[in-house]
Formats: sequence, structure tokens, C-alpha cells
Amino acid sequence: MATTLRDARRPTLPARPAPRPPVRERRPFRDNPRLILIGLVLLLAALAGMVWLADQSRELNPDFLSEVVLYALSAADLTMVIALVFVLARNIVKLAVERRRGLPFSRFRAKLVLAMLGLTIVPSVLVLLVGGELIRSSMEQWFSDPVDVVLRSATEIAGDYYQEREKIVRDHVLRIARALPAEAVDTGDLEAVRALIGPEVTQRGVGLVEVYRIPAAGAAPGPLVAVESPSLPRGHVRASADRLAAKVAAGDDRPVHEQLAEGGELVRAGALVRDPATNRTVGVVIASDHLADNLAQHSRRIKEAFENYNQLRVLKRPLEGVYLSLFLMMTLMILVSATWMGLYLAKRITRPVQMLAAGAREIGAGRLDHRIEPETRDEFGSLVEAFNTMAGELAASQRKLDRSRLDLERKNQQLDERRRYIETVLERIATGVVSVGADGCIETINAAAVRLLGVEAGVIGAPLDAAFGREDLRPLGALVQRVHAGRAEPAAQEIALTREGRELHLAAAATPLQGEDGAPAGAVLVFDDVTPLIRTQRVAAWRDVARRLAHEIKNPLTPIQLCAERMRRHFGSAPPASRALVDECTTTIVGEVESLKALVDEFAQFARMPAPRAVPSDLDGVIRDTLALYKGLFGQIRLEHRPAEGLPPVRIDVEQIRRVVINLVDNAVEALGAAAAPLRPGGDPPSIVVATGHDPGHGVARITIADNGPGIPPADRDKLFMPYYSTKRRGSGLGLAIVRRIIAEHGGNIEVADNVPAGTVFTIELPV
Amino acid sequence: MSTLSARAWTLAVALSVLPAVLPADQSLQVAPLSREGRVLVSFRLDNAFNEDIRTAIHSGLTISFIYDVELKRGSSLWFDRTIASEKVTAAVRYDNLARRYQVTRTQDGRIERVDATEREEDARRLLTEFDKLPLFTSEGLEPNAEYYVRVRARTSPRNASFVWPWERHDVSATAKFTFIK
Repeated sequence: MATTLRDARRPTLPARPAPRPPVRERRPFRDNPRLILIGLVLLLAALAGMVWLADQSRELNPDFLSEVVLYALSAADLTMVIALVFVLARNIVKLAVERRRGLPFSRFRAKLVLAMLGLTIVPSVLVLLVGGELIRSSMEQWFSDPVDVVLRSATEIAGDYYQEREKIVRDHVLRIARALPAEAVDTGDLEAVRALIGPEVTQRGVGLVEVYRIPAAGAAPGPLVAVESPSLPRGHVRASADRLAAKVAAGDDRPVHEQLAEGGELVRAGALVRDPATNRTVGVVIASDHLADNLAQHSRRIKEAFENYNQLRVLKRPLEGVYLSLFLMMTLMILVSATWMGLYLAKRITRPVQMLAAGAREIGAGRLDHRIEPETRDEFGSLVEAFNTMAGELAASQRKLDRSRLDLERKNQQLDERRRYIETVLERIATGVVSVGADGCIETINAAAVRLLGVEAGVIGAPLDAAFGREDLRPLGALVQRVHAGRAEPAAQEIALTREGRELHLAAAATPLQGEDGAPAGAVLVFDDVTPLIRTQRVAAWRDVARRLAHEIKNPLTPIQLCAERMRRHFGSAPPASRALVDECTTTIVGEVESLKALVDEFAQFARMPAPRAVPSDLDGVIRDTLALYKGLFGQIRLEHRPAEGLPPVRIDVEQIRRVVINLVDNAVEALGAAAAPLRPGGDPPSIVVATGHDPGHGVARITIADNGPGIPPADRDKLFMPYYSTKRRGSGLGLAIVRRIIAEHGGNIEVADNVPAGTVFTIELPV
Repeated sequence: MSTLSARAWTLAVALSVLPAVLPADQSLQVAPLSREGRVLVSFRLDNAFNEDIRTAIHSGLTISFIYDVELKRGSSLWFDRTIASEKVTAAVRYDNLARRYQVTRTQDGRIERVDATEREEDARRLLTEFDKLPLFTSEGLEPNAEYYVRVRARTSPRNASFVWPWERHDVSATAKFTFIK
């Protein structure tokens, strides 16, 4: 059996997207070493700046210190407090949200942050409190009563000294102003003025005396004469005396101090020179006294120390604020750093694990192309790399499995198609096939086998003995048993079965089955219905016999008939008794010869029956026309035609089919008793029903000719269609043989069965 | 440690409630006067020369009394409108050797006068009493309209609090006048 299977469409793997390259996201600050380094540098710079600021705070301008620095530090502290509170509040909210969502690692992150914060907040706050106390106590120690008394006393002494020197100079200048002759000053008599002031320098120790003349009321004083002690250091400037003279002329006679370039300073005082007569101011006298360098320096230092001391006391509160702000800022920086570090560490630890968990979920969901972007090169990075490698190998294995599965599915599909094809073939072929397993049970049986053997399809699974236990099936069972048991080689055998009273000839062959290892795997029984073939062979043999018989018998009949007729003519003139005898004998001879001729003609016709010339015809029309011939001939018999609805045209030889119908109806009429047919035992009238039918499923048109006669014994049914078998006294026994041959020539089949409840029914099937 | 911590907390609380330089019982008297096209403003800061100020001045620091003077007009529907403003500053520096106060008065950065005195009372007067300062011009003022002058006084350097340095202890006062042309 050549089997051509249509190529199954080759299944293809579903298009699998290429593995997505990990999307490189912008790295956040916490994962950017460069940014972290910059942040640390800025932090250290801020710390250094704070240290510098703390060191310089005492030197800063008080206004700048209290107006700018303290504000800026407080603003920075406040900002950091807000930042710390914001970071903590944000993480608390995030923790609550993550816990509500059931996200992993939220508790771990919170614990880590709290641990870091707890580790730093207690010591930081303690350090802040202790440091603040230390700052306060240290600043308190800056100020002590002894130092205060010493500095204040020293300043008092220095001030008294300055006051004393000023008073001395003022006394000198007042005495000189009173002693100076107003006229000499007014007229610019230098000799007279110098003569008066000279002794003041040389004898009274005044360092410098300068006289200014005021030429008119309201005019600026102009220098007139100056007498200077040789011991007075150089470096004093004229402009200083000029300014003082102008001030004195304007009414401000407060002494002034002038720093000298060579060290020391001059204490200057001025007084007006008035004309006693008119009380007019005619001049100004400036007297200067020199304070030694060391004395002036000491006095200044004492003053500066005192003022610095008191300024510190005055600025103690802003300074404390600056120091405490700096300290608080450092504490806050530590806390913010600790919080951030806790978050950073938590992120560093949990983020890769979260990514791995998410990646595992993706892989578990079948998305094998999922990859994780390694963010670090540490152990977590190695873990991520290992995960990605594992995912890649999983994807490759999955693809291999997919391909194998598809190949397997394709092969299964092919096998299934082949199996269905074989099953279809087995179901459609007319050959019966029965397979028996190694356990002796029926494994498969096709429809032809069921039909030929007359068993139920449910026999599958039944033991061989039970399936073939019926009397007529035992030979087949025995054949299979021999092969199945390994007692015989593959064998073919023709077996005649009698089923439902008909003889069935099967050509059966049993073949043992062997597994791949050579072990017995059962047997398969194949058999064909060769009954038609045998019938054909028999018919062919009978036709040959008929032809020979016709040839051998017909030849001598004509001489016999001629001789008999000659004898009757010869004895035509014989006595009546003799002539009557001869007439009777010759008539008998001629009659029998005619019968023999008719018989021989039938034989000859059977032997030389032509092939049917089939054309599409109206089968019911042919039957109707044929049955019309019987109208009125057999009044006792009811002849009924039941045409089928929608019967398509059937390819038939009309004359041959009409002969078939006539033959079968004649047989039925005769079975019913011909014209004198009696009522049937149940009181029913004798009847013949010719019906047609259409079986589209099998592609046949069916003719049934049923009578309610006495029926045919089952033993005779198979012989009915054999030539020269007849139950009639004068039948040739060729009628049904010819009927079967005509039907066979049309490619059809004829069967005979009992009519229910009584009679016989012939069923003819013709291909449509 | 507990004693230390308690003292530290006490310090923190004390720092937060320290008063500013200007004492709480100080007051500011303001008297505006419109004359000859100018708005003359007289004001006097009372009780400002307390011991803290005196100590600060005698420490040699330059102590400034800063007066922000604003000429404003009231508005019932919106913020009061500032018509003009001036900053008057009186800075004093004490020479501990000469035992002399030098007071410098400036107006919007311009030095108006420099005085030196050995008397503290004179210095106090120079720092806290201002008589008929022609601070604003009356051009543009609406005749018969009511205006007011607000003076806000503070000292520098501030004796600011560590906890909240933005707390202001300024003293302010206002005085209304009707501009009659």
C-alpha cells in the first residue's frame, strides 16, 4: 500500500524578541562615585570654613559678626534641620507606603536608617550639649574679676596720665597766651614773641610752642613763629597744628594727640591770645608736649587690651551664638550624613537584592529575556552578572526545549495524520483486518472485519477465544492462535464460514508480529471476502458447461425432430390405431425435443449473455412499466409499487433490469400460488411489494421485492443463485443465476432474506 | 554628666530668651512738623542709655543708633503708602585714654555733624535726641491731608539670639500730622 502523506506544515517557533539590552538609566547621586567625592570635598571644605570662621570670629567686624555671620549660620542650621526633618519624614512616609504595599526590604531599610540615626543622634546630641556647655564655660573664663580690675585700673592710670599731660600742656599754653603781648602778635613782631616763648621751651620744658596770628576777626589763623626744643623728635606735621589752631580759633580748645613717625606722640593744646584792651582775639598759641614712645605705646596697649576685653564681653552673646551655631551645624551635618549614609547603605544593599528578586519574578513569569543592569562592580555586581548569565542560559535552554517540543509536536502530528490515514484506509477497505496483541486480546478490528465476521465493534480488548468463540469463527480463531503462539509461520488459508445461512468464503492470512527486540508482539489477521470471486468462478464454469451442453445437445435434436416428423408423415396412411399411436409418439418426441431446444437456448443465452449497455435511467419508471404487465393477471395477489422520493437517475440496462424484475416477481407470484393464491395464514391477502430506495451514504439505489409467501428455508438461500438449482418442477434453475449475473454486471449486489413477518425479500443494490 | 546636661539645657533656654541691647522699657517720642516746604521731624529715644549700652560704648566699640524714619500716608483699603524714608544714624566711639566721646551723625550715609564731648550726658543727647531734622520735602503732599511719620530705632551691633537671630527688638513710634499749606 503506497501511502502518500501530505506534507504537514512545519511548525515554526514563535518569534521570540531579542533579549532587551538593559536600559542604562542615569545613575543617581548615591551611585556616582565622582559626585560622592565632590560632595565629600564640599563637606570637608564647609567644615574647614567653619573652623576658620570660628578662629576668625573674634577678629571680625562686630556688625558683620552679628548682622551677617550669625544670621547666615542660623539660616544654615535651620536649613539643615528642615532637610533632616524632610529626609526623616519622607522616609517614614515611604516606609508606611511600602509596608502597606507589602514591598520587600522596607522594614530592613527602615531599621538600617534608624540604627544609623540612633548610633549617631545620641552621641551627637550629647556632644552638642557638652560642647555648648564647654563653649559657654570657656567664654565665661575669658572674663574674671582680677583681670577686669587690672585692666580697668591700668586704663585708669593711663587715662589719668594722659589727662595729666594734657592738663600740663593746657596750663603751659594758657600761661603763654596770657603772657604774650597782644600788640606784638597783632603786629607780627617776631622778635618780641620769640623772646617771650623762647624761655618757655628752654627753661620750662615745653617741647614746642607755635604762635598763630589772626589778622582780623573771623579770619583763619596764620603761623607767625614757632620755637622747638632740640630734644623734640622730628616728624611732627605742621598741618596738625594748623587744624588745631583753626579749632581753637573756632572755640574748641580740646587738646589733641599726634602720632609721630619716629615714635611717641605729641600732646597738643591751644589757647587764644586776646587784646586786653579790646578783648579781640589776635592770635592762637599751640603748645605741644612730647610723650615718649614707650610710654605712649604702653598706654595704647593698655587701652587696646581693655577695649578688646570689654568688646569681648559686649560681643559675648553673638560670639556664643556663632560658636554654638557652628557646633550645631556640625552636629546636624553628622545627623544628616548618618541618615543619608543609612539610606545609602540600605539602598546599596537592598536595591541589588530587590532587582534580583524582581528579575527572578520576571524569569519565573517566563520573560527569560529580562536582564538586570549591574550598577556596581562589587560582590553585588558579580551576583547580578551571575543572574544575567543564568537567565541567558535559561533562555537558551528554553529555546532548545521549544524547538524540541515543536519538532516533537510536528512528528506527533505526522504520526497522528499517518495513523488517521491508516485507520481511514483500514476502515474503507473491504479487507478485514484484525490485530491481536501479545496478551492475546483484540487490539484493532476494522469495519470490514466487523461486517464480514458479524461481530460487534466493541470486541476490541476481548480475548481472542471470546472474540472468535462463535462456531463459524473458530477456524479463523484457530489460525490466529497458531500464528500468535508461534507454532506456525505466516499462513494463508481459505476458510468457508456460514453466517446467517449464507456461505461466506474468506481468504485469510495471519502474520505474527514481532517487537524491535524480536519478542512476539501479537499477530495480525487479514482476510478478504472471496465469495463473489468463487461465485464468478462457478458461474464461469457453469457457463462453460452450458455452452458445451448446448453444443452437444442441440446438434442431435434437429435430426431427432425431423425423424419424428418424417415418421408421422410416413404413417399418415396407416391404420387409425397405428396412426394414432405414431401421432402420439411423434408428438411427444417433437414436444420433448422442443423442450430440450428451449432448455438448450436458455443454456446458450446464459452462456452468451451480453454486457449491459447502461445508461442513466428512471429506475422507478422501469419498475412501473414492468409491473404494468401484470395488471389483471393475478387478481388474488396485490402487487404494489412504492417508489422512492428523490431517487436520482441510475445507470442501468433497462431490458436487463426489466428481466430481473420480471424474474423475481414471477418467482414471488409462483411462491404465493399464482392465480389461485390463497389468503395468508393471518388472513392477509397475498401481496408483492416492489419498493425503491436511495442510500446516499453508500451511494446505492436499492430495490426490494418482498412477498408474504411461505419463504425460503435458510439452507436453500445460498443455492438459490446457483445455476440449475430450482425448487420448481419445470424450472431450468437458471433464472436467479441470470439475475445475479445481471446485477453483478451492473456492479451491484443481490441478497435474499426473510420478510418479516412472513415471506421472502430480495434486495438489489445498484451503484448510483 | 547629668549636671552638665542640665546646665547645657539651661544655657540653651537662657540663650533663647536673652534680651536685645535695647531695654524693654525704652520708648520713642516722635513729633513731625511741616514748615517752609520741609517736614521737620523731632524724635527722642528714652531709656536707651542703659548699662549695657554704656558698657558697650566704653568698650571702645563703635555703637550706632540707627533710626529709620518714614513719611507715610494711611490707607483704609490697602497697606499704608510710604512717601519717603530716611535713615538717620548716630554713631559714638569712646576714647578711653582721652575719655572723650566722639559722636558722628549721618543721614542716608552723609555725615551731617561730628561732635566730641567728655560728658556722657552730652553723648547720650547727641545719640538719642534729634530736633527738627529736615528729613523730607513737603512738595507733593496733599494739603489738609493727614500723614504720619514712623520712626524705628535699633542699635548696632545687634546682641542677637543664637536660637532665633531674626527676632527684632526694635522700638518704633508714629506721629500723625496734617499737612497745611
